[in-house]
Amino acid sequence: METSMLTGGAGQAGSYLDQRQGLVRDAVYQASLMLDDQRWNDWLALCADDFTYDIKSWSPEINYDMTYLHASRKDLDSLIRLLPKHNTDHSPLTRHTSVYTVELSPDGTTAQVVSSVVIFQHLLDGTNSHIDSGESRLFLVGKYYDQLRFEEGTAKFTARELRLLNRRLDKGSHWPL
Amino acid sequence: MPARNYKQWTANPPLQQGEWIDSRLYTDQAIFDEELEKIFKRTWIPVCHESELPKPYDFRTTSIANEPVIVCRGPDNVVRAFLNVCPHRGMIIERRPSGSFYEGQPSGNPKRMTCMFHAWQFDMKGNCVYVSREKEGYQDRLCKEDVGLRRLRCEVKFGGFVWVNLADDPVPLEDWAGAPFECLRKTLDAEPMEVFHYHKAIVDTNYKLWHDTNCEFYHDFMHYHNRVTGFNDAYFARKNESFDHGHIVVGTFEVNYDQYEGFESRAGLSFPHLPPNQWYMIDLFPGMNFNLRGSALRCDVVTPLGPNKTMIEFRGIGLKRDTKEERQTRINHHNSIWGPFGRNLHEDLIGVQGQGTTMRPGSEPRRILHGRQENQTIHDENGMRHYYDEWGRWMDRLPSDPAKPYIAPTAVAAE
Repeated sequence: METSMLTGGAGQAGSYLDQRQGLVRDAVYQASLMLDDQRWNDWLALCADDFTYDIKSWSPEINYDMTYLHASRKDLDSLIRLLPKHNTDHSPLTRHTSVYTVELSPDGTTAQVVSSVVIFQHLLDGTNSHIDSGESRLFLVGKYYDQLRFEEGTAKFTARELRLLNRRLDKGSHWPL
Repeated sequence: MPARNYKQWTANPPLQQGEWIDSRLYTDQAIFDEELEKIFKRTWIPVCHESELPKPYDFRTTSIANEPVIVCRGPDNVVRAFLNVCPHRGMIIERRPSGSFYEGQPSGNPKRMTCMFHAWQFDMKGNCVYVSREKEGYQDRLCKEDVGLRRLRCEVKFGGFVWVNLADDPVPLEDWAGAPFECLRKTLDAEPMEVFHYHKAIVDTNYKLWHDTNCEFYHDFMHYHNRVTGFNDAYFARKNESFDHGHIVVGTFEVNYDQYEGFESRAGLSFPHLPPNQWYMIDLFPGMNFNLRGSALRCDVVTPLGPNKTMIEFRGIGLKRDTKEERQTRINHHNSIWGPFGRNLHEDLIGVQGQGTTMRPGSEPRRILHGRQENQTIHDENGMRHYYDEWGRWMDRLPSDPAKPYIAPTAVAAE
């Protein structure tokens, strides 16, 4: 879809577009806070019914654009519902997200967003809590490529692709990122 | 029995010899160093898949037992392996994980492996074809013919995996692993396959603990889907079959994915000559796993980095001819269980790292139980017993007391 980059316009149109751009930024940052706080269902509430979620990475080892996880909204509902039934590393994850670009479609109904994200892991019970608990480690580095649709005065996520740069993922994670 | 005092805690369990091992096998630096020399430098390792170097002059780098290895495909389409070491001053020749020699490099020509340090060049057969200022420096005392690369045994086999052995005189690969692969040979050799997933984990644990986890299904209790929706009579009837050289195979049964909460039927996509939803597992000594589950094949390869540090490389494999939709389906199925953000792999890695936490260099020796006997079915621990008997033979150490030389289990039990 053809999109136009917004850098903050002037006049009435600019205000309208600025407002939409602000909605998009707010949605990305709200999603980050909710994921940090493990408010999984609140995070999902920011997503449209047709939301799709992917974690991807380019592998220079096998020269392949890999999908580490692909999930529909329904898949995520199930994944989140089952989280308490899995044995999980409970070390909290927090992220630093910076929205780099927001592009609105010409008709103003959708937006594409690129954000940088760095996710830290704060060790709790992953290994030997007596020794490791309290240490913070870099966990993942990548970018969010989000697509949002404006619905009833809000911006809803229709797709999130997290593209990872680090591919040594060690124990991995059960949690949405 | 109530909780035990130190003497009781460190006493031998009331089991037969061979049904437990000493944890020093997982913690001792000298044993670890010996394993690299006696085992890893003499066994076949599937270092990559041929689809990772599809064209002539493509290469892939790896390592075995601390030795850097390069695998490349020649213009004759033959895949060969060499030590990735320049014979001049020991520089690693190729540093990238994969790529092509078809284009020239800053220090060298196209279609050559070039050491960037002094521009020595080698062809795809490992012949040295260029020594910079050769005559000026070596006159007639040393020539290109004297400084070829170190050639390694290499075969493409069992579904297109590239197998490398550092020894000049290994057991032939077919004799090494042909029997355990028999259950899947027709499937794996039916048509070209292709890797679609690669990731690696470095975890603080011994490599054998990862292989143990792949060899025993008793840890089903760790996984939600396994313990809640996987158990049935057919599941428990699967056999752990032992093969020569320490390998085991877990027989198949039909997995009912549509009974997994949050999953749908996976019957629509399988592999050649296999009915839908089959689950075969081949565990090869000393640390490789091939796990065909319904629509995806997974392969784990361990690279031991220390007594308490292991790299595991995970690959997912499908058919080369997959349509885009079929490939995406295989990827989704693979990752839902086995991906780094899947349901089971995260738990497996927490499990072995937890073992690594209690068994690290300096930890007091303890007994690790491998004594479940269930007619060699899926929760029997005969796979691990078989593995450690083989380990004892290669190392000439008794697994239950590694300071003593190896004795066959029957002979030990009769003592």
